[in-house]
Amino acid sequence: MASLELRGVRKAFGATPILDDVNLTLDSREFIAFLGPSGSGKSTLLRIIAGLETADAGEVWIEGRRVDTLPPGQRDIAMVFQHYALYPHMSVRENMAFGLRNAKVPRDEIDRRVDEAAEVLEISPLLDRKPAEMSGGQRQRVAIGRALVKQPKLFLLDEPLSNLDAALRLRTRVELAQLKQKVDAAVIMVTHDQAEAMTLADRIVVINDRRIQQVGAPMEIYSRPANTFVAQFVGSPAMTLAEAELIDGNGLARVKLGDGSILQTAVPREVLPAGGLRVGLRPEAVRVADKAATTKAKVELVERLGERSLVYARLGDGQAITAEDNAYSRLALGDDVGLAIDGAAAHLFGPDGTGYHRTAAA
Amino acid sequence: MTAERDWRGLLFVAPFLALYLLILVFPLLRGLWLSFYQVDLFGAGHFVGLGNYARLLHDPVFGTSLVNTFEVTLMIVPALTVISLLLALALNRAGKGAAIMRGIFFASAVLSVTIVTLIWRFVLAPDAGLLGEAWKALGWEPLPFLSDPDLVLPALAITTVWWSVGFPMLLFLAGLQQIPQDMYEAAALDNSNGWTTFWKITVPALRRTLILVVMLQTAAQLQLFGQSQLLTAGGPSGASRTAVLFLFESAFGRWELGYASAAAEILFLIILAVTITQYWATSRAEGVRGR
Amino acid sequence: MAARVRPNGMTPLAWLALGLAALIMVAPLLWTVLLSLKHNADLVGHSGAALRPPYTLENYGAIFGNSLTLRWLLNSTIVAIGQTAGVLILASLAGYAFARLEFPLRRTLFVIVLLGLAVPSQAVILPQHQLFAWLHLHNSYPGLILPGLVAPFGVFFMTTYMRGIPKELDEAAMLDGASRWTIFWKIIVPLTMPAQSTLAVFTFLGAWNDYWWPLISATRSDMYTLTVGLAAAQMNYAQTSGLGYLMAQAVFASVPIFIVYIIFQKQIVRAMAGAAVR
Repeated sequence: MASLELRGVRKAFGATPILDDVNLTLDSREFIAFLGPSGSGKSTLLRIIAGLETADAGEVWIEGRRVDTLPPGQRDIAMVFQHYALYPHMSVRENMAFGLRNAKVPRDEIDRRVDEAAEVLEISPLLDRKPAEMSGGQRQRVAIGRALVKQPKLFLLDEPLSNLDAALRLRTRVELAQLKQKVDAAVIMVTHDQAEAMTLADRIVVINDRRIQQVGAPMEIYSRPANTFVAQFVGSPAMTLAEAELIDGNGLARVKLGDGSILQTAVPREVLPAGGLRVGLRPEAVRVADKAATTKAKVELVERLGERSLVYARLGDGQAITAEDNAYSRLALGDDVGLAIDGAAAHLFGPDGTGYHRTAAA
Repeated sequence: MTAERDWRGLLFVAPFLALYLLILVFPLLRGLWLSFYQVDLFGAGHFVGLGNYARLLHDPVFGTSLVNTFEVTLMIVPALTVISLLLALALNRAGKGAAIMRGIFFASAVLSVTIVTLIWRFVLAPDAGLLGEAWKALGWEPLPFLSDPDLVLPALAITTVWWSVGFPMLLFLAGLQQIPQDMYEAAALDNSNGWTTFWKITVPALRRTLILVVMLQTAAQLQLFGQSQLLTAGGPSGASRTAVLFLFESAFGRWELGYASAAAEILFLIILAVTITQYWATSRAEGVRGR
Repeated sequence: MAARVRPNGMTPLAWLALGLAALIMVAPLLWTVLLSLKHNADLVGHSGAALRPPYTLENYGAIFGNSLTLRWLLNSTIVAIGQTAGVLILASLAGYAFARLEFPLRRTLFVIVLLGLAVPSQAVILPQHQLFAWLHLHNSYPGLILPGLVAPFGVFFMTTYMRGIPKELDEAAMLDGASRWTIFWKIIVPLTMPAQSTLAVFTFLGAWNDYWWPLISATRSDMYTLTVGLAAAQMNYAQTSGLGYLMAQAVFASVPIFIVYIIFQKQIVRAMAGAAVR
């Protein structure tokens, strides 16, 4: 039975459409990320699942039960808010117990669950403190604890890492990943950070422009993006997209870039539509190499990352391109550099943005 | 979140709303209705249309009371505003002394009108009053504040200012504390002296508070009643009778409820007109500035 | 230093003026207290005697022996507390509805309540008097308390304050299975305590000092509040010559309110500051 099913969900705020015919099915115990930029509709979708917003049309099903007509408290879900929304006048224990008390769970059961969750999250010494007396990271754990004790079928996390500073973010990412193992429910996490989604999720739902762009495992999203939006949103730095022209060749597409260089891709010709194509190249497919160079470019910026360097350059026709070099690159602004492009790793995108990739290895 | 939720909200607001409709809205409408009737002691009234209003317009007592009301308001509001502003400026500092002073100036505001009039009756009375004693000690004739028709309104004004200075003072203090320090620092760097800084920086920054104080006090003093009734009973010969006292006497002295209701409606309209004019005048000025 | 930069050019002249103003503020109060401490007989004709001993507490003794004055104190207390409790309850309920709940006509009703702020008391007091006479509520505690409950200010104040509470808390509570009532009672009300105490002090002061309504609603002297009783005593002064006693009554009536003032000074100041910021 699916943990979550969305059928034909539609939502507009006044005259502004936010979600357009969203359909989705999630299996049990999956960790799903709703990934998308601000304004893409992902938070609204989460809130519709939670019951904090009502969709204009469509149905929401959780574990075989239709919930879109039920109030949030009866959907058997728990949510961790972006700013935690802890009750400021209650202690940690009371915060965590509140939901269970409303559900008339017996007192000793409440205490048991609260103590257990507190131990798992390492917040036991904080149980009698108020939220104002804790750090941001501690507050988040309380918020997670509040959700845990309800033992819901579905966890909703709204941008859980965006309020944390960089160091804390990494630590919490690890903790969330560990939590995933311990918890017997599906988790939906909303985020705009593709690295977060890639790290934590079993599957990613990429949302943009009111629609679901792609649903798939992280590596699938990364290596076979469904369209140019997904291709450029996932992966940092962003994939280079260059205009290309299909030229004669064998069964696999062969393209010519604006500056004249030729690429032999691994994408079958026959799937390609007519019309203007664009070729997508991730930095790791474009290496700085004087000897085996297929193209020449002029360096605009070198970013030294420690374990590698990123070279932002321009091809002969002005097309921007991102390339990789080793850590000790000696390149500087204005240099001419030779680039070796791995055509087999290239993606092709049709005029409507749809992505075409090399055939998956058998 | 269905339509059911919608109606339940009304349950929360129903208790207040029920009382509100019964005790405020209904009487408001009924007051208007009453003003078109002539009602006497026996309760039976007959419709007179605008008769009450016509009679009011020709009633010298009512006319005098309106004039008195305007006069006393004009005496009180500017003085009250200036004094409370000066007090706020002087006392806008840290320290126990300033805090005690602020407490002193606000203390009178918590007293009821009956206590205040009682106190001031025996300050102003020429024979038994404090001022009388002080005047005599200085060898002067004590002034008959409460029995001289030319002095009664100033007497009411002084009493009211003494009573009311605390609240505007606090409003100004709050407004002053909102002014960011950097404005003064920039002014100091620009070599601005105290006077210029006051006019060019402090006063404009207090604009909103000033407007609020003037509007609130004007509306309040146009309704002045207790001091007039208790200090001087509207005397001598109606020299200190305010509009609300006229209303009170018509309604509970002579039981002319319809007549008094008409007077009440007229006063209501006057206050509304004055308030709206003040609001309009001040927001127009702000618009001219162009923000 | 900041103090130097502020335009508080407090010249010696300004300090003098301030001192004089303070004197003017305090002198009448002092005068009243002194008068209350004199034998009534000593004061007839020359109240200047108040400035010289002998002083006595007999007037205060007479007050405590006078059951009517004590009754007035009781009435004032009941009315003030009753009105304060009533306003807090009604304004909180209504404030929650306006701030958080979606119900039909919400905006219209809020505007209607807001408009009530502009209505001066004299526009409604005569019909109110008629209404309460018809309901046989004059000379009763409910009659004294009810009109004060419909102050739109309380609702407006609580609505504004409640709007300031983050909606996320409501949402978290909804997900925690709380009903509208539970959210109101367990989450919103505890978080509005500062506003509640401010509104309480305001209402209490207003109710205690109210003159207009108790004057016309309580016609039996045993239902007078202190404020009205004192006015009646004042008007009867000419018949008696108990100036000292009268002044003692004034002091007696001021003490409770001064106690409330001193205890809740912070609240009152904060309330005024809030009004100015708006």
